[in-house]
Amino acid sequence: MNLWQALVYFLREAAISLVRSWRVSLLAVLTIGVSLFVSGMLLLVSGNLSGILADWQARARIIVYLESDASEDQITTLRKTMAEAPGVVGVEYVDAKAAGENFRRSFPSLSDLVEGWKSEPLPPSLEVSLDPEMIDFAWVQGWTEEIRRRPFVEMVDDDQDWIKQVATAVALAQGIGIALGLVLLAAAMFTIASVIRLTAYLYHEEIAVMRIVGATEFFIRGPFYFEGFLQGLLGGLLATGSLFGVHYALKARYSASVWGGVFLEQAPSLGAQGFLIALGAVAGLLGAVFSLRREDLAAPTEDP
Amino acid sequence: MQARKILPPKNAVIQFFHVSKQYPGGQLALDDVSFELPRGDFVFLTGPSGAGKTTLLKLIFREEIPSQGQILVNGRNVASIPRTKIPFLRRTISVVFQDFRLIPRKTVFENVSFLPRILGADLSRQKRLAQEALDRVGLGHRMGAFPLQLSGGEQQRVSIARALINEPEILIADEPTGNLDPDLSEEILSIFHEINEQGTTLLIATHDRWLLERLGKRILTLRAGRLADDSQPLSTTEGETP
Ligand SMILES: Nc1ncnc2c1ncn2[C@@H]1O[C@H](COP(=O)(O)OP(=O)(O)O)[C@@H](O)[C@H]1O
Ligand SMILES: [Mg+2]
Repeated sequence: MNLWQALVYFLREAAISLVRSWRVSLLAVLTIGVSLFVSGMLLLVSGNLSGILADWQARARIIVYLESDASEDQITTLRKTMAEAPGVVGVEYVDAKAAGENFRRSFPSLSDLVEGWKSEPLPPSLEVSLDPEMIDFAWVQGWTEEIRRRPFVEMVDDDQDWIKQVATAVALAQGIGIALGLVLLAAAMFTIASVIRLTAYLYHEEIAVMRIVGATEFFIRGPFYFEGFLQGLLGGLLATGSLFGVHYALKARYSASVWGGVFLEQAPSLGAQGFLIALGAVAGLLGAVFSLRREDLAAPTEDP
Repeated sequence: MQARKILPPKNAVIQFFHVSKQYPGGQLALDDVSFELPRGDFVFLTGPSGAGKTTLLKLIFREEIPSQGQILVNGRNVASIPRTKIPFLRRTISVVFQDFRLIPRKTVFENVSFLPRILGADLSRQKRLAQEALDRVGLGHRMGAFPLQLSGGEQQRVSIARALINEPEILIADEPTGNLDPDLSEEILSIFHEINEQGTTLLIATHDRWLLERLGKRILTLRAGRLADDSQPLSTTEGETP
């Protein structure tokens, strides 16, 4: 038998066995499917959450309002100093004209109010974007005080409470995500392992017979490896299918609420789906490999 | 079936040299057993239950390993065959087990044709071989059944068909007629006789007195693990407990 024939043989045997022992197969597929579904749900929620947090983070900034007569040199120097400070992602100069346009765009009902003004309504400013995860807040406090004292700085709007909250939320979300992920992974491994122990027990006698008749380990193990792989693959498909269905149903129902928006904004990505299916297949295959490793130890043909 | 390759007639195919077997934590199941089986021989192994018959057979195809002594099959020390080569030893030895050892999740056809299938025979050849083997034991019509749908005697015959399919060099059977009524026993006996004529060496463990007396073949008798008697053809069988 060449390799190709062997693979066809394995696949055929695996498929037959999958159908004939459909109860055990179903149990394995469901176990893997449920584990992956729960993990996928977590992935989906944490994906959406981190998207939102990224959005919030982008809004973490300090605005330094300048005197309208600040010289270009002064602005450039300050800009450079601030850009080099730790935790600063970017510094953008918004001149008075742009600020005025922003204002009129953001608050059209108030635009009449400033219509007659000779000068622009708002001073020019430097908008400093921060990475909340990189900031030492005590240091930022001192730093903003120092900037505030510069002669050409009119005022500093530092909104630190907001930044602090976002930083805490990000850290918390990541911590909970990692912890929950680990717990789920352990639970999934445990359930998959028990299904595999069950099937290994069922296969034990069968494998002993194949050995006695003169089958090589390659031909004994191949079909079981394929069977595990197929079960995992089906479990992965089941999980992604359910994930899609559940996401769709929940989104239709809760999209109006805040939480719906937070957790259900994005559907599971193609990458995430592929990852779940591959994870299922690998889990099934590894399960078969490990259960037959135990089988190997029980073989009565140990060397003396 | 084709006649297999010609070899010197008195070439020993199975040799036991002072073989003892002690199971872990158990008593001595075999105690200093020595004998030779010439190629093409048809030999019975008998003795009361617990005498060590099954153990002796298991040592030949390396389901067990001797605690002492050496066993040669075709001149090769069975205990020192590397693990990866054991399947090749077993393909030359067909075994009919007392407890059948059929695969319950596979059909009669799949059980019987297992070896040809993994050796790469195509489906039509597998079918033909399985049909031939099953016809010989009168079960050609049960190819699609599962083992547990068959009676004990039928399962026994399926396991015999599986043993016949690859024209084995050596055939070992452990109480092959234990589950059969006399008519079927006679039929199985004639099948054994037939494949022995074609060159297969047979070693049959039984305490079926009728089987022993029927053919007047060489009989090895075990008692409490010791080879108590090795009577040559036509010698009178002494009375022993079945
Ligand atoms: N796997 C085993 N572990 C321990 N003792 C065993 C095992 N198999 C057989 N024995 C013991 O070895 C002796 C011989 O058994 P066996 O070869 O089955 O005899 P027989 O086939 O002649 O009835 C018996 O005392 C039996 O209890
Ligand atoms: Mg026995």
